[in-house]
Amino acid sequence: MTQDIVSRNAVQVKGSGTRAIIFAPGFGCDQTVWNTVAKAFEKDYKVVLFDYVGSGQSDLNSYDIQRYSSLDGYTQDLLDVCSALNLKNAVFVGHSVSSMIGMLASLRSPEYFSNLIMVGPSPCYLNDPPEYFGGFEKEDLIGLLEMMDKNYIGWATMFASTLLNDANRPEIKSELEDRFCSTDPIIARQFAEATFFSDNRKDLSKVSVPSLILQCSQDVIAPESVGQFLYQQLPNSTYKKMEAIGHCPHMSHPEETIASILHYLNKASVSGALNG
Amino acid sequence: MILSINQTLLQFLEFKRDQVEGKHFHEILTVSSRIFFQLYFVPLIKTNRKIEEMYISLQSSNGEEIPVMVNALSKKGVEKTVSECVVFPIRKRNEYENELLIAKKESEDALAAMHKANAELEGTLKALEAKQEKLLELNEQNRKFKIDTKKELELAKKIQKTSLTDPISNKLIQIDAFHRASSELSGDIYGFYQIDEHRYGIILLDVMGHGVSSALITMSLHSLFQRLISFGVKSEVVMKELDLHLHRLFQNNEEARHYCTAISLIVNTDEQKIEYTNAGHPPAFWQDTRGKQHELKTTNVPIGMFEGIEYTSNSISFSGGDRLLLYTDGVTDPLSFNHLSALLKENASSPIGVLKEKIIDSLDNQKNKYHKSDDQCFIIIDLI
Repeated sequence: MTQDIVSRNAVQVKGSGTRAIIFAPGFGCDQTVWNTVAKAFEKDYKVVLFDYVGSGQSDLNSYDIQRYSSLDGYTQDLLDVCSALNLKNAVFVGHSVSSMIGMLASLRSPEYFSNLIMVGPSPCYLNDPPEYFGGFEKEDLIGLLEMMDKNYIGWATMFASTLLNDANRPEIKSELEDRFCSTDPIIARQFAEATFFSDNRKDLSKVSVPSLILQCSQDVIAPESVGQFLYQQLPNSTYKKMEAIGHCPHMSHPEETIASILHYLNKASVSGALNG
Repeated sequence: MILSINQTLLQFLEFKRDQVEGKHFHEILTVSSRIFFQLYFVPLIKTNRKIEEMYISLQSSNGEEIPVMVNALSKKGVEKTVSECVVFPIRKRNEYENELLIAKKESEDALAAMHKANAELEGTLKALEAKQEKLLELNEQNRKFKIDTKKELELAKKIQKTSLTDPISNKLIQIDAFHRASSELSGDIYGFYQIDEHRYGIILLDVMGHGVSSALITMSLHSLFQRLISFGVKSEVVMKELDLHLHRLFQNNEEARHYCTAISLIVNTDEQKIEYTNAGHPPAFWQDTRGKQHELKTTNVPIGMFEGIEYTSNSISFSGGDRLLLYTDGVTDPLSFNHLSALLKENASSPIGVLKEKIIDSLDNQKNKYHKSDDQCFIIIDLI
């Protein structure tokens, strides 16, 4: 069973620390997006990387349309990984939709997690006036799904060329060549629907695990108002506005991302020690 | 950030240069494209250093959506990384692609509908197979039941046959009979018994209908008439007792009520007299030595029909060489009364066995199977 989960979710464990830190990729990406950031933690932590079923090097045969029609299936993937590795009080770092997946997992099995670090999180992408501004109207999200449909053929050729041009472009790191963001179009589309039409606002107040919200600047996907909303709703949460622009600070601004996480963890352990 | 933009694209977008240069690239994207840009364009340009043929939508100053194809190349500078983007408007191509996508969606829907219909069909087929299986099972049960029933009926037939009396043959009288059931069991029954040195009691009954219910009644009547006749009870008394027995049998069950025709004779060879009672039965033939035929006609109504009927008897005197033929309507229906009469006449001098065979042959040669649907029984009595 344990081995099944490890290969199903392409789990990788690195580093020389005892305390575990899990990095979960955002929508449409695989674990390689965390490479730079994760490396910084290998000295002091046991670094856990994995792919959700349907992305990266996961076992595509395990993909079940029913199971992965909502975030619950992905949450189960995370819980399966925690269980297989027998994790306890692990630090969870989730990008984008993975922030919510980590949050949902912590509601079901809080013992696995000591802290939830949310990078560009959003509990709900749709606007729900007058109280809530998620950033998008339904038509915007449907437009996104259409755009995904229309880029399908482009994807395949794009990645093929990456592989072919490898020799000409030695600067590309080898691990990024593989299947970065190259999910099966049907799975990607279903994941997009599960992600962008989810609404987890009601769950936020039930969260018991302390959390850090890393809010990027000028993030169209998770605007500041959403980060603030999370900060208000999540008990025991910390809010950090980053300099990083966009939605992927772990890739565009890895140094700031690493520093923000470390700063929070140091403070948390100090306060934990004081309280403890 | 948009560092520089050419005039052509500005015209497309209906922006002035200073409105976009220095602004975020999002400024010229639709909302959907902004998410897509963040999800795919940014990670890809970072890892691949180039984008080929990415479809996104730009947004003009007046909010108009412009579908474009983007190619981009990322160049690492000393201070910053610059991406050069080339965009082609693909309005017409986009319409074409939309059509393609609609067609794709339609074909996917059709495929899904077909899969659904197939699944339903498979479900129906499975249900049908299960039903057929059940039917075969029931059929098998039915077959076994039939075999069991047939065995039971054959056994019952044997029991009914054993209740029939054997031929009597001595120097004063010869009695022989024929009995054939239309189905497994017969509604006809007969009996003949030697009462004492000179007296013989003979009876022939035909219970209405045939098959199991009629046969059961014949067996019930048989146990009664066997005792009564063997005791030497008079024919009209025998008839009255059988009548009472039937009324008792059905007094609380009108639906099951059966009536029965019967003819009962007491032959006295010493006095050369016959007393008989005919309860609604076809008349028996009495053929004297000169070949003249008489009939032992009905004296009373059938038994089991009306309550409180008194039965009577008639008496005839015979002489040696006379012959009697008693029969049920299962014999005259196919052969006709006249044919039977003629057979009897033609074979006046034939031994009893020969006459019996002739009648059976005539019955067997009847082509009309309909008439074989009734039980057949006859008794021949030769007075010597």
